[in-house]
Amino acid sequence: MGANASQLEKEIGSDQFPANEHYFGLVNFGNTCYCNSVLQALFFCKPFREKVLQYKQQQKNQKRETLLTCLADLFHSIATQKKKVGTVAPKKFIQRLRKENELFDNYMQQDAHEFLNYLLNTVADLLQAEKQVKTRASTNGTVKPEPTWVHDIFQGTLTNETRCLNCETVSSKDEDFLDLSVDVEQNTSISHCLRGFSSTETLSSEYKYYCEVCCSKQEAQKRMRVKKLPNLLALHLKRFKYMEQLNRHTKLSYRVVFPLELRLFNKSDDACNPDRMYDLTAVVVHCGNGPNRGHYISIVKSHRFWLLFDDDIVDKMEASSIEEFFGLTSDVQKNSESGYILFYQSRE
Amino acid sequence: MATQNEGGGKDEIKTQFMTREGIYKLMTLSEYSRPTRGAFNGQGNTPVKVSFITLNDQSGTGDRICFNIGKELYFYVYKGVRKAADLTKPIDKRVYKGTFPTCHDFNQLTATTDSVMLLVGFTAGQVQLIDPIKKELSKLYNEERLIDRSKVTCIKWIPGSPNQFLVSHVSGQMYVYNEELPCGTTSPHYQLFKQGDGFSVHTCKTKSTRNPLYRWLVGEGSINEFAFSPCTKYVATVSQDGFMRVFDYNSMELAGMMKSYFGGLLCVCWSPDSKYIVTGGEDDLVTVWSLNERRVVCRGQGHKSWVNVVAFDRYTTSVCDNEMLDFSGSDDDFNHMPHANTGLLHEALRTSTRSNTSRGSSKSIDSKGVNMITSYRFGSVGQDTMLCLWDLTEDILRMPVGRHRTSTVVSQNACGVSPKSNNSVPSQNCVTNMTLDNAVPHHSSSSSGVTTSLTQKFATFTLGDRKEKDHDRKEHKRNFSLGSKNNDKVIRTIDDSLRLLGTPSCPRLDDVLLLEPLVCKKVAHERLTALVFHEDCMVAACQEGYVYTWARPGKVGLAQQHTVTTPPQTLPCQPPALGSTAL
Repeated sequence: MGANASQLEKEIGSDQFPANEHYFGLVNFGNTCYCNSVLQALFFCKPFREKVLQYKQQQKNQKRETLLTCLADLFHSIATQKKKVGTVAPKKFIQRLRKENELFDNYMQQDAHEFLNYLLNTVADLLQAEKQVKTRASTNGTVKPEPTWVHDIFQGTLTNETRCLNCETVSSKDEDFLDLSVDVEQNTSISHCLRGFSSTETLSSEYKYYCEVCCSKQEAQKRMRVKKLPNLLALHLKRFKYMEQLNRHTKLSYRVVFPLELRLFNKSDDACNPDRMYDLTAVVVHCGNGPNRGHYISIVKSHRFWLLFDDDIVDKMEASSIEEFFGLTSDVQKNSESGYILFYQSRE
Repeated sequence: MATQNEGGGKDEIKTQFMTREGIYKLMTLSEYSRPTRGAFNGQGNTPVKVSFITLNDQSGTGDRICFNIGKELYFYVYKGVRKAADLTKPIDKRVYKGTFPTCHDFNQLTATTDSVMLLVGFTAGQVQLIDPIKKELSKLYNEERLIDRSKVTCIKWIPGSPNQFLVSHVSGQMYVYNEELPCGTTSPHYQLFKQGDGFSVHTCKTKSTRNPLYRWLVGEGSINEFAFSPCTKYVATVSQDGFMRVFDYNSMELAGMMKSYFGGLLCVCWSPDSKYIVTGGEDDLVTVWSLNERRVVCRGQGHKSWVNVVAFDRYTTSVCDNEMLDFSGSDDDFNHMPHANTGLLHEALRTSTRSNTSRGSSKSIDSKGVNMITSYRFGSVGQDTMLCLWDLTEDILRMPVGRHRTSTVVSQNACGVSPKSNNSVPSQNCVTNMTLDNAVPHHSSSSSGVTTSLTQKFATFTLGDRKEKDHDRKEHKRNFSLGSKNNDKVIRTIDDSLRLLGTPSCPRLDDVLLLEPLVCKKVAHERLTALVFHEDCMVAACQEGYVYTWARPGKVGLAQQHTVTTPPQTLPCQPPALGSTAL
């Protein structure tokens, strides 16, 4: 371990090593790589890390242990290490996670995306609850949940437009999201998958749409486009597909390329920040051939470097090696190392 | 309209397709590959590239083809659509160890029936010069990797030169070599020769002349491809930083630039008359840029993944003899531009357009002489295994910026920048940047026929602005570099690409026309890596190691017509597409 750590330091070079930066691997507590990979990705999502560390500062005297306090303690322990590289054991965090959600209370391989979802929602709920405690004391009564910093960072808005094919009336409804789950196709790009996400769908026969204007069920066209682009865009590639004939999920190892720089094509006409430029900051990679088997690792960008986190091992890598995580073009092999969750940070 | 799904056969590989000029057919017997067709896994290998040379052979089979597959390099007689390929007899075959060929180029100038000079670039940075006919010649450059250790991305003989060539690398550098000079036994020491926005040129600091003659540093990250203009005056580069840059090759001045919508640019090609450049990249788009106007003319959306190769089809271009085209309308067009609220930008655009569309500068430099091209055809292939063909018609080329926008977007723009304040592109920046873009190329283009009075007028007009702009940039630099000094360069580029949005170098998505392809077909199982147009056929290569030949309409070789049984039912041919513009 020590050899690996010093190796990384050597590779980066002491004069090149970013000040106040720590590259620490996370010990695996029995199939917890789904957790480690997501935690590393989030740690290198700058605004998220800053807010978690801030929370730690504010909550010095917090008595009650929550998933958020455990996360804050973990981030804090990495950020305050004396050494620049090494490993830490996220023991308390894992214990808390297993205590709070029975889904994760075992030694099975879990889905990294499910964990990300759970973590973000739990943190947001905790923050909202804390806010409400404060506001209730003063205003007394039920208050609409306020957006938290989790929302400030991850939340975007989709607009769901439905056009009745009979009266041509367009009705639209907005929904918020913390991440987008997109279908994947062989030999495509993430941009194409996102456009597929927003492609027009025709609602007909049994799926007819009830039009308020016509007061009856009508054929309609529906599409979902992004209205508010989030600060941090998390994209989940739906690589695990349920195969009815196999009665289980199978992995789609399709080659889906993702650029280091991204803008969206699938935004609505009234989008408030349609030309936001995003930079790839982290990728959670699934290795292996099934959702409950295999391994998760993450690649992250820190300052000018790309790093690969594989549980307790941290390696420097070349940006040009990212293409190794695009997936496979042949359908014969299923055992791929392919990008599963992409984190794009808005450049502003 | 041509891109719509064709029923259930969406994933089928097409063996023929129809365009307005007729049916293109895949010549299955004209397929080139390695002689022994074993299972070949293209994964993780270098792209298969194809080079051609035509020798003055009396027998009429003067075409030769060179392609690389994995660690191998092949050289065959290319029989095109006329006769089936004979893969058992390569004229030359080389197998490399430790380093793989990535690209190659024939010297058209020195080629004879019994001798050709073929340059080959390699993954570890080396360059080899071989003669696959005579086989005696073999010279290595950068053998010890003292000049550059990164992969060679593109290699080309300098047009008209018997001995000089240009090599680009992943390191973001290009080198000029002379094949007759040695590379030296020590690392070269350089001294600055020329410098400009985003690039610098260095010469080798030695007593005796050695290779490289020049080192070009261009942009940030890999130079993915470069291309000399057919008029030989310019070289265009595309880089991983998303920039396309055009240089006057001899004066080493930046003559223009463009930024992708996002992501790296992967390929570049000039129109046969050197007036337009088309690029393809990681935004899944093809982008057409006008050298005369220094602006993005339109983008094309049709690919489902990154665009690996773009190529103009010089044989499918419409030409008109009448040079007296009426350009008087263009001024009026610009008067109605929705940009009218930004007066300076408006003025700058008008000025540049007027001067550049003046008849003097738009004379065709086509080899055919005085004819003027009115419609261009180009093709693109990508990682989506698709081939797209595009038509660039006169009405598209002459369409002013912002013309086609939907009303909502126009109103958004008209009410100022406030709704887009998140983009941190204040209008002030747009304007100053705009003038710089026009100013830099303008000086170099003065030689290409723009009247002097206009040049001067324009120069004085921009001088003040340029000072202001330089000042602006310095401030930017200072502001941004406070935190960390060594990140200076990167931050400037990032800053640039945000600043460029909404300018002619990187219009917003709604600001320019978004073309649809004339034809968009899946033609292979693997990523496509090469595309070349010939008079009677089109050649495409894929990562698996196959080089396909598609006969043009009516060009199916007699020999093949008898032997090839093209499945007659293959596809319901589409009616010829009537137009290809999406409004």
